Amino acid sequence: MEKILEVKNLRTRFRAEGGIATAVDGVSFDVYKGRTLGIVGESGCGKSVTSLSIMRLIPDPPGEISGGEIIYKGRDLLKLSIPEMRAIRGNEISMIFQEPMTSLNPVFTIGDQIREAILLHQKTSRAAAKAKTIEMLKLVGIPVPEKRFDEYPHQLSGGMRQRVMIAMALSCNPQVLIADEPTTALDVTIQAQILELMKKIRETLGMAMILITHDLGIIAETADEVLVMYAGKVVEKGPVKEIFANPLHPYTRGLLNSLPSLEKKKRLETIAGIVPSLLDLPKGCRFQARCPYAFEICRGEEPALREVGPAHWIACYKDLPRFEGKK
Amino acid sequence: MNGEEQEILLKEEASFAPKSLWLDAWRRMRRDRLAVASLVVIALYTLLALAAKLGFIATPWDAEVGTAYAAPSLASLKTIFGTDIFGRSVLHKVIHGTRIAMSVGLVTSLIAIPIGVTLGALAGYFGGLVDEAIVWFYTTLSSIPSIMLLVAFTYVLGKGIFSVYIALGVTGWIGLARLIRGEFIKHKHREYVIAAESIGAGHVKRIFRHILPNVSHIVIINFSLQFQTAIKSEVILSYLGLGVQGQPSWGVMIDDSKLELARGVWWQLSAATLAMFFVVLAFNIFGDALRDALDPKLKKG
Amino acid sequence: MTTYLVRRLIYTVPILFGVAIIIFSLFNLVGGDPTYQMLGKHATPAQIAELRHELGLDRTKLQQFGDYLGQMVTFDFGRSYSTKQKISEMIWSGIPPSLSLAIPAFIVETLLALIIAMLVAYFRGSLFDRIVVVGCVMGMSVSALAYILFGQYVFAYLFGFFPISGYDPDPILRFKYVALPALIWVTVSLGINVRVFRTFMLDEVGQDYVRTARAKGLSESSTLFKHILKNAMIPVITYVVIQIPFLITGSFLLESFFGIPGLGSITIDAIHNSDFPVIKAMTTIETLLFIFGNLLTDALYSVVDPRVRLK
Repeated sequence: MEKILEVKNLRTRFRAEGGIATAVDGVSFDVYKGRTLGIVGESGCGKSVTSLSIMRLIPDPPGEISGGEIIYKGRDLLKLSIPEMRAIRGNEISMIFQEPMTSLNPVFTIGDQIREAILLHQKTSRAAAKAKTIEMLKLVGIPVPEKRFDEYPHQLSGGMRQRVMIAMALSCNPQVLIADEPTTALDVTIQAQILELMKKIRETLGMAMILITHDLGIIAETADEVLVMYAGKVVEKGPVKEIFANPLHPYTRGLLNSLPSLEKKKRLETIAGIVPSLLDLPKGCRFQARCPYAFEICRGEEPALREVGPAHWIACYKDLPRFEGKK
Repeated sequence: MNGEEQEILLKEEASFAPKSLWLDAWRRMRRDRLAVASLVVIALYTLLALAAKLGFIATPWDAEVGTAYAAPSLASLKTIFGTDIFGRSVLHKVIHGTRIAMSVGLVTSLIAIPIGVTLGALAGYFGGLVDEAIVWFYTTLSSIPSIMLLVAFTYVLGKGIFSVYIALGVTGWIGLARLIRGEFIKHKHREYVIAAESIGAGHVKRIFRHILPNVSHIVIINFSLQFQTAIKSEVILSYLGLGVQGQPSWGVMIDDSKLELARGVWWQLSAATLAMFFVVLAFNIFGDALRDALDPKLKKG
Repeated sequence: MTTYLVRRLIYTVPILFGVAIIIFSLFNLVGGDPTYQMLGKHATPAQIAELRHELGLDRTKLQQFGDYLGQMVTFDFGRSYSTKQKISEMIWSGIPPSLSLAIPAFIVETLLALIIAMLVAYFRGSLFDRIVVVGCVMGMSVSALAYILFGQYVFAYLFGFFPISGYDPDPILRFKYVALPALIWVTVSLGINVRVFRTFMLDEVGQDYVRTARAKGLSESSTLFKHILKNAMIPVITYVVIQIPFLITGSFLLESFFGIPGLGSITIDAIHNSDFPVIKAMTTIETLLFIFGNLLTDALYSVVDPRVRLK
């Protein structure tokens, strides 16, 4: 597998009313060509901030990437100049956002907006860029693309708008596509169509994808590797089959248990409690207050990520023999 | 500043304001040194106005304290800003001008705010014909340029400070009514209002006990705008000869001083302008700080 | 779009009617008899009766209202009481001087404010932004009268850069006279305009489509000057266009101070002379212009905003 993007020890923080909130705290992961990495967690766990950090789109102020490396093709994105970074955005790494209704500019036609990205990154004529735009619209399944080219975002449904966003993101054949909750704002039936489309496109174009979601169902269907985040930290990561078959971190288990299932007809479980404030984190494990297994050691040093199986990592003391013994 | 501009500047805030917002806002304001300073300035002007009203200071304002057009001198407090054509103390006139300005700001706000809140609330809450009628009424009224409406009002009511109160009061509520109406439309279908209805709260109770407290921050922000707009309008009206009669308002002083500059007498104009500048500036800064403190949109960022 | 405009047009009918009722009530019903104020204390009953007849005040209130509606349609407001001129002629003669001052001042003011607002939006949060905002607030807090009086004193009287007051109908020479009042106009309105335009720009900066534009790889300046500006132009145009009709009536204070014989001066003179027919006519005209400006804005709005245009 060809490693295309490597995030090492990323830290992103925000200045807030009551202090500094480190929204992403030492996150590391690799992204491989032709594969999908799923990042999952509750809202506020830092998954969106991670993706915006890769694009270097963190609003500064109040935000700031305060440490780490993002290696893409041997270069650290965090060390690039602003024009160098711009040449990467939308071209080699592109992004789709959660809100298709508002992510397109209301006063430009959708054709204009896609063509703008093509003209920006590729030396091509306006006519060729238009042809490419129409081809992209066709690829994402928009009917009568020649006509849609001249339409404004408000004339399209939410699902169609998200297709336009995908077409825009793919228009320069990116190596990495980041999708931040691409289907959350859509109806369930449309969600399935969009996910299907993204899967198909990834298979056809063969780029790498980072899919950010709070929905484990989507992860199960689309991702190859999974990264589970909690309060700015990675708590578990591994191949999708392994994580679903053998979840080790209590938080991952909680997430899986709160998924409805037809076969098991049991009561849905919830994870008690709420995510701690990033301004007021407990000493030790960040999940301790909600964890059914929490013990003294969890209130001591914060657990680090350890490899517990083939490519399966967790940040938890739960499986340690002395921990088991005390329980 | 006309109603249009006020609204645009006010539009930034319009949103949901939970109860703890007030405490939170107060804490933010206290940390904002400019806001505190402007509050102090406003308090100082209020005190001066009260003291003048009660006859503690600057009385009588029309006493001769020196020769005509005596330049400002530090010799005595009375002549610190010089004297006017009749040898009266410009300082005393400015203090009485403060009294008039503050009373105009206060009284017009006291007239405009209840009208604006009531009509805005009724229109937004009941909708339908009530809404149509109220919107028609204020659209019509706001179509007539406010300066001409003020002129017409002062003719109808006769010249004098009373007319200024009424004229500014009954023309000043439109912007507030528009904002309040918008907020009521947003709030009337919120769960807490429906919950209140389900436990038997009537219309009056729902409007005043439930929705109004949630939109009251708009009233407060509007108050600081209303106040300074009234002060500025009074100056223009008095300058046009339609305002305060026989009393030294800032507008009257500026009107008196328009021929003085050519003789090198700059102090009456400067004193009135500066007096007005500081209080209007204080209200501007205070209003902005209030808006920032009460704006939930900013809090998220 | 056509239905939208037709609907807006129909909507002005009740507004026009309401305006007619309010102005008529103020001047003809509640206002009492203007003849006493116009003629003074020593008028004879015969004089009063004659004036009442001249103003049509001896007719029934309903007839008077009919007369007024007729005036609104024909723009024939009778004669001025103090100058005996036909009001419609006064108005026609007042428009060119008013426009000579208002148009250049308005164009400079709007463009300057827009440029400053864009710069401020680009450097938002910086020291420059803060200085401009503080300057605007301070500028807004000074009375317009102070700008006029000090401006006239310093630049015309002390330095003699400009004539102190007056006007020349010559197409070129008139600009010598309107230059200083135009400059003061720009100064007075710059603060509020920059603040309003800045608010329009910053309202857009936080929108999702801006993030999309950046994610596409657009530079900060393309994002601002293409994506944000085109959206911000919608409120800017609304704000600017609505003021255009008022350029005709000019500026009361500037015109009267600088002796420019425009509609502003005519109105101020009428106020000073208690010239009721002229005040009523000016009130009516200003109101009609305002309603017209609103319609114009709606029409333009539908051209700039595709969401309205394609409804």
